[in-house]
Amino acid sequence: MKMIRAFIRPEKEQEVVLALEGSGFPSLTKMPVFGRGKQKGLQVGPVHYDELPKTLIMMVVDDKDTDNVIAIIQDKARTGFVGDGKVFVSPVETAYTVRTGEKTL
Amino acid sequence: MKEITVIIRRDKLPATKKVLDEMGYPSLTIQSVDGRGRQKGAMCAEMDYDMPDSFCTAVKLTPTPSEYAVEHTLPKAALYVPKRLLTLVVPDDLVSTIVKGIIKVNKTGRHGDGKIFVSPVENAIRVRTGEQNGEAIA
Repeated sequence: MKMIRAFIRPEKEQEVVLALEGSGFPSLTKMPVFGRGKQKGLQVGPVHYDELPKTLIMMVVDDKDTDNVIAIIQDKARTGFVGDGKVFVSPVETAYTVRTGEKTL
Repeated sequence: MKEITVIIRRDKLPATKKVLDEMGYPSLTIQSVDGRGRQKGAMCAEMDYDMPDSFCTAVKLTPTPSEYAVEHTLPKAALYVPKRLLTLVVPDDLVSTIVKGIIKVNKTGRHGDGKIFVSPVENAIRVRTGEQNGEAIA
């Protein structure tokens, strides 16, 4: 299993989530976060924004679905401008369902 | 070392903290998150009421659509249920005990009890002293 953490534009969240749902990946956790990237924030005239709001979408999927999910996120969250975000993939060894106590995703 | 990511009901947080405390592992990070599982955020499934979906609509038992959807009055909104997300980093040999303990207090048998993910952590460093690995989380 893999944990996919996607930092995306907040305004793209709805689109990404509905696309994932349409492809059969409804389960996810989202949280609002603030951060910056390579551009060190955003300069608008004299005003400098050091940290920009993003939405973090966290989901755990089977290994074989990983590429598919990343492709969907990339397709929907892309605008082509800096600040589109990042996707991180990390390993998950075990997943438990609390309701049953079983080791299932 | 392993990182345990736990997503649980909001009202189960005090009990979970207590049980972790009793096991001698009180350190954790808590976050308020919104999420949904296979039921796509359906509150009726979440509470496992023996009620038809129309009852949910009648008593306004619908979860909150995302702010974006409300603002832009979208016809279809993704629905989320508020949850608590806990992150713990623990030694390898304690993982199964802690997972069992968490499952024991959080199990209600209804949908929406949450998930537990166990993933590997390569290194841990205590900022104050610079201790690494096991010493840092002891």
